[in-house]
Amino acid sequence: MMLRGATLLAVLLLGAWSGASRAEEAVPGTDRSLKGDAVCTHCHDETEAKPVLSIYKTPHGVKADERTPGCQSCHGASAAHVKNPEGASTRPLVDINFGVRGAAAARLQAETCLGCHTGGQREHWAGSEHERRDVPCTSCHVIHAGQDRVMNRVTQQEACFACHKTQRAQIHRISAHPLAVGEMGCSDCHNPHGSIGPVLMAKNSINETCYTCHAERRGPFLWSHQPVQEDCTTCHTPHGSNNPALLKVRTPWLCQQCHTSDHSGPMNSGANLPGGNATTVNGLLPLANQSPRSQLNARNCLSCHSMVHGSNHPAGARFSK
Amino acid sequence: MTAEIFSMTTNANKKVRRRAVLLTQCVLLGTAFAWRADAAEPASGEQATRELTQPTSELEVGVGDVTQGSYKFGEYNGLQHEGAFPILNFDLSGGGLYNSDSLERWSARGADLGIDTRQLDVDYAQQGKFRIDLGYDQLRHNISDTYQTPYSGAGTDLLLLPSGWLKPRVPQVNPNNLNDRALSPITGLASAVTTSGQVAPPNATQRAAVNAIINADVPAFHNYNLYTNRYRWNAGLAVNLSRHWQFTAGVRQERRDGTQPLGAISSGVQENSVILPVPIDTVTEQYDAGLRYASSRATFDIGYYGSIFHNNVKSITWNDPADSTQTPSMSSAPSNQFHQLNIAGGYSFTPGTRLTVAGSYGRSTQNEAFLSDASLPLGLPATSADALIISTALDVKLTARPTRALNLGAEYRFDDQDNRTSVGRFVFYDANMQPGPNPSAFNAALGLAPGTLRSNVNIFENRPHSRRLNQADLNADYAVAAGHNVALGYRWQGIQRHCHDTWITCENAATSNESTVRGEWRANWLEQLSTRVAYAYSTRAVDYNPNAWLALVPMANVVPGAPVVGATTSVYGYLTQSGLTGWGPAAGFPATPLTGNAAIFSPNNNIVPQSLYGSRDNVSELPGMRRFDMADRRRHKLRSSLDWQASERLSLQAEGEFNKDDYQHSEYGLLQSQISALHLEGSYVFNDNFELPVFYSHEDLRSSIAGDGFGSNTGAAFVGRPGNTLVAGGCYATVLEKNHNGKIDPCLRWFTDMRERADTFGLTLARNNLSGGRLSLAGDVVGTLARTHISVRGGSYANNPFALANAPPLAPGVPAVFFIPAVDLPPVTTRILEIRLRAQFALSRASQLNLLAAYQRLKSSDFAYDGMQFGTGTEQLPTNEQPYSYSTAVFGISYVHRFF
Repeated sequence: MMLRGATLLAVLLLGAWSGASRAEEAVPGTDRSLKGDAVCTHCHDETEAKPVLSIYKTPHGVKADERTPGCQSCHGASAAHVKNPEGASTRPLVDINFGVRGAAAARLQAETCLGCHTGGQREHWAGSEHERRDVPCTSCHVIHAGQDRVMNRVTQQEACFACHKTQRAQIHRISAHPLAVGEMGCSDCHNPHGSIGPVLMAKNSINETCYTCHAERRGPFLWSHQPVQEDCTTCHTPHGSNNPALLKVRTPWLCQQCHTSDHSGPMNSGANLPGGNATTVNGLLPLANQSPRSQLNARNCLSCHSMVHGSNHPAGARFSK
Repeated sequence: MTAEIFSMTTNANKKVRRRAVLLTQCVLLGTAFAWRADAAEPASGEQATRELTQPTSELEVGVGDVTQGSYKFGEYNGLQHEGAFPILNFDLSGGGLYNSDSLERWSARGADLGIDTRQLDVDYAQQGKFRIDLGYDQLRHNISDTYQTPYSGAGTDLLLLPSGWLKPRVPQVNPNNLNDRALSPITGLASAVTTSGQVAPPNATQRAAVNAIINADVPAFHNYNLYTNRYRWNAGLAVNLSRHWQFTAGVRQERRDGTQPLGAISSGVQENSVILPVPIDTVTEQYDAGLRYASSRATFDIGYYGSIFHNNVKSITWNDPADSTQTPSMSSAPSNQFHQLNIAGGYSFTPGTRLTVAGSYGRSTQNEAFLSDASLPLGLPATSADALIISTALDVKLTARPTRALNLGAEYRFDDQDNRTSVGRFVFYDANMQPGPNPSAFNAALGLAPGTLRSNVNIFENRPHSRRLNQADLNADYAVAAGHNVALGYRWQGIQRHCHDTWITCENAATSNESTVRGEWRANWLEQLSTRVAYAYSTRAVDYNPNAWLALVPMANVVPGAPVVGATTSVYGYLTQSGLTGWGPAAGFPATPLTGNAAIFSPNNNIVPQSLYGSRDNVSELPGMRRFDMADRRRHKLRSSLDWQASERLSLQAEGEFNKDDYQHSEYGLLQSQISALHLEGSYVFNDNFELPVFYSHEDLRSSIAGDGFGSNTGAAFVGRPGNTLVAGGCYATVLEKNHNGKIDPCLRWFTDMRERADTFGLTLARNNLSGGRLSLAGDVVGTLARTHISVRGGSYANNPFALANAPPLAPGVPAVFFIPAVDLPPVTTRILEIRLRAQFALSRASQLNLLAAYQRLKSSDFAYDGMQFGTGTEQLPTNEQPYSYSTAVFGISYVHRFF
């Protein structure tokens, strides 16, 4: 394993050094001042259907901050677009177009943004799920707007659900996190720029992410419930469910996926409900004698084993104290 | 009002259609929808430029009304009560102009200030130098407005029954045992089978007893609304120390209060339980601080994260409804802490080649004092768990682009959760259980006087689970042609599990290895058409140990003494010698009596008696049971998508996904699960002012579970009295045959297939520039239909209620035992319809009027609620909760003013 890993690393490094490079300095021939912007805003002014000037409301537009870009810092010098040669049927696009029509490769778009926005939340962008699938920054971020939609958890979902349609449907289920009402955003749990955790978790693991709001489940407990300690999504589906408490499968069958001992073993069917054939013994048992199976009815297992995430009581080995 | 988002976006890589986003809340979020007032008074060029470039502030005030209160409707949106509510939102921004020398920027935002889900955020920055932000967030979670309880003190840690409370019992059934069906006059006063085999109504004394119970107890039940509040404060600071260095710090405090339902066991013998309204009173503090370096090639991050959780509710105490003089107690979530150091760094050798390394070290601790009560005959081995988990993680990732068409990636991940919590021995009786009549077989081994502990005692040791993950990923992405990419990937994941200091391995799967291969093809056929197909196959192999349960019961390694006679080995010794699990041999009643250790540890070929390993309940699992999260598994994942910009006006999308998990070596537990989904979406743009996006999603989730309701092998040949020997249905014709095969009866094997289907549809209509450009209308509809079907195959046995010792013998041919086949459960269905209509009318360039009309309806049916009503449960105190249902409309009118 180690030898193969070292060999692979050597191959990658060799490949890397032989790869093409791109200038890291500011785009030559660009001017980030207002005078430089005027090359563009001469045409893309306040009458533009898309409010490009709104960028000046945002941190990108604060000219007193010498870190901020000008139009050409991101879109390139775009000489052809500016000059619009005679005879061209349509004006050539800018060098780096963040739109859709004739959009630059996602990687090029990302490199433009990462030229300034490197590190921090984007530390793990390279090789991340979104990066590998060519999702450019502008798939989610809206730069030429007074407020970037993804910076607000209410409007953030609009960006995510453009692709994540299963989750869009799930947040409308009867049991869900408060996403549909805007009290949570996708970025409360996920870092879409990349993460060392699975499924772009904001923290290093699924459980660490869940514990930022649900610290009461963290323990460590005297009596820990192993699937809980390993991965909350063993039992829960965090985007929405037709089952209570965001469970993947409702109890008692969820519990019976792992437990067969004692009273977790017997079958639970409709015959064990109030009035069912097992409850009434095919109608022979009078009403006073009938006893629907408590492991099936109401809150079933959780009526007693309510400390299912772990118990700290000396007698709590069965998660009931 | 709360913000509800409905997104009708197309694929991210296609032309972005204008979103129709309907907000019931804040009109102040400028990007969410266009400010309509610009049509009211056309602006001069200078004015228009100023409005586009200068910080903008908005204030919204108004009033709304909810037509019908419902906790479920208002679960998280603050609109749980019927009646009027204020609308108050603001979004203020200020600071220097973009073309000034000022770096000052500030903003203050407030949303939903008139209701319980209010938010407030303030930030101030000297851009490029520092930034401070403060925030407040409040969230109310409404749980139930139909819950009932007889307990007073709801919301405190002491829950008391009224002084006149009488133990619910149905004397004509059993004069002593708790029986909550007594609370209903229908079930409490119904006829019952007497010991002589007659069906008789309750006599006068019994009727009087039940009536007294009803009169004493039922009036005590009262509605108590269950909800929790969360109050969250946060503050943050970011300082740019230099061009490359930044320091950040933040603190967040979250306080929760309220009441939520929690099951509590009153008696372990009869499995009596109550659903208590328990208080929530917690504080969670989170801290972070970090130092960050970033340059064009190199990045470095070092940071601290700390989380301290305080639970001010240490325990819950309540009256036992079976004996209100008794007050059992249970613990609550212990206060705990987590502190973590994170370090990450990256270096770009070239723009296409980057190495990233990240590591973390964390400590999770918990030292809450143990509760002690009468269930612990030997007291406590320690005062607290002194629990500690050390978590360390390392991630190394190298990505490279050796050619323009080829991208490579390699990643290694290490994640270790080292649980160093001490192992202790805890001796206890189950909840409210009296020590049994027979002595434990381990008094002598524990150095105790004979009879000190009884045979129904639990002698357990805790199992601090540790887990170590090693994972390696290789990825390659190659552009085979313009617009066509093929990606291949491989992952290996190895997990090792163990417990420190347990007397034997505690893990069902000490080692598991999983390999995944994946392939993907992404194609842009034309600028207007793109497709994607991806497939991944995983196989996980585990060396499963079905006897890991032994780690819980240390007495399994001790030879049982008196009153057990003749044992020459321990349970563990017997299982090792015989190769059996705790379930014992797969055999029926022995033809010849067993002798020696077999007779002791597998009496009549039955399961190992739990008292022989110091447990009141059977702990071992069926052979063939595999806990699915660590069982052998084959996994298939298929994804596909199609994105087509059919014309300038019409865009279409389709996506499908299919996941299947097959636990190929599992005979019991989860055998198989499958998820499939189909998503269809389209958007038609009639013109710049009118578009119609629609979507439909279908999700289908299936799982199959197997189990066995096995019984015991006995030699009993009749039920009640000789002659009652027939069995109707099932696998055996006589009681003797059935009992001889009680453990291995194939008719007791059961299968449950669950299928959940959910359909969600939605559409949005947005029409702008009406009425001379002053009016815009938007509406959206979202509907969800989800249904869960649970089908069960198998059956169970039930004795004929008239096959009693003192009753006349059953007539010839009348069965003494019935095999009752399984019946499917009633489907669980949920229907949700959400309709929102919004109008915005521009009064002037700086003001507009917003009108909202929203309607939401939920109908659900869930058989679980049937068992919460009076008269349905024997061992569970009813709560009379009702399935969620509401039909609610919300109206609102608000005025919005914008200023610069």
